[in-house]
Amino acid sequence: MHNNSILRIATKILFAPIILFGLYVQFHGDFGPGGGFQAGVIVASAFILYSLVFGIEAGKKLFPSNINLILLALGGIIYGGVGIVSMLLGDEFLAYNILGSSPRSGQHIGILLVEFGVGLTVSNVMIALFNAFASYDKIKEK
Amino acid sequence: MISELLINAFLVTIMLSIAIALIKTRTVIFTVILTSAYSLVAALMFITLDAVDVAFTEASVGAGISTILFLAAMAYLPKKEEESISSEFIPALSCIILGGILIWCSYDLPEIGQVTAPIHQHIAPEYIRGSKEDIGIPNIVTSVLASYRGYDTFGETIVVFTAGVAVLALLQKKDPTKKNKSQPKQKIRKNA
Repeated sequence: MHNNSILRIATKILFAPIILFGLYVQFHGDFGPGGGFQAGVIVASAFILYSLVFGIEAGKKLFPSNINLILLALGGIIYGGVGIVSMLLGDEFLAYNILGSSPRSGQHIGILLVEFGVGLTVSNVMIALFNAFASYDKIKEK
Repeated sequence: MISELLINAFLVTIMLSIAIALIKTRTVIFTVILTSAYSLVAALMFITLDAVDVAFTEASVGAGISTILFLAAMAYLPKKEEESISSEFIPALSCIILGGILIWCSYDLPEIGQVTAPIHQHIAPEYIRGSKEDIGIPNIVTSVLASYRGYDTFGETIVVFTAGVAVLALLQKKDPTKKNKSQPKQKIRKNA
């Protein structure tokens, strides 16, 4: 697969638009269909496509495993962190009203951050799962 | 109304034929591809029910990423499923009984879209009103998912995280032993 020029060029052309579409779905979830779960999967699919065409080693060079694992945990921390911050500001866990100057802007900030946390965790879990399955073979062969 | 009925009948027919093909096929790669196709038709089904967010999730997660993950995991499976030796009579009978009960119960369900149905009376009016006035977001699904049901979504995120960590822990089990084996060698070399 590594020598197929059609696949290589198509991947290079598609990679950026897929991530752009993922970001659109992520941050446009308030207004249209979409949100963290879908966006995370779409962004992950761009990296998985890269790994499929250029090989798992090139994919790991593009997106190192240690950064992947840190971001995987960071998503959940962002989500929980929003809850903790709203608690520290004097409201209940995950009550967004207090985060902004008005309840509405607080809700906007809270939902945006929470969806970002979901997207981060989902995309990194998917990339990590794919890498784990794809690298398992090599570990076994050694 | 008639066109909706035709579309639904068309989608159900495709779903049923995919399901029958899934039972018949013994090649693992066909099973994976057919499951993906089934998810795609299910996504279309959700669109006819006006559940666009669910359809989006089904298309991206069910038809997209899970197919890739199944294909990646498939490399460790035998190429063909073994013919089952045990009798298929009891599983078939239990499926028919369960399906019959579900169809029988479905007659008690309120009609789809009926305003007086219990699901539209309980808390939904509050969400529809509050999403516009208190949260100010046009997409009610997002406001329910991230704000009203923020705890549930937090739980879902943690479930995804836990599942990922569990698979990593299982699959990378052999990595530390290799490192442990290679480390003493390096030490010996250094000592020598």
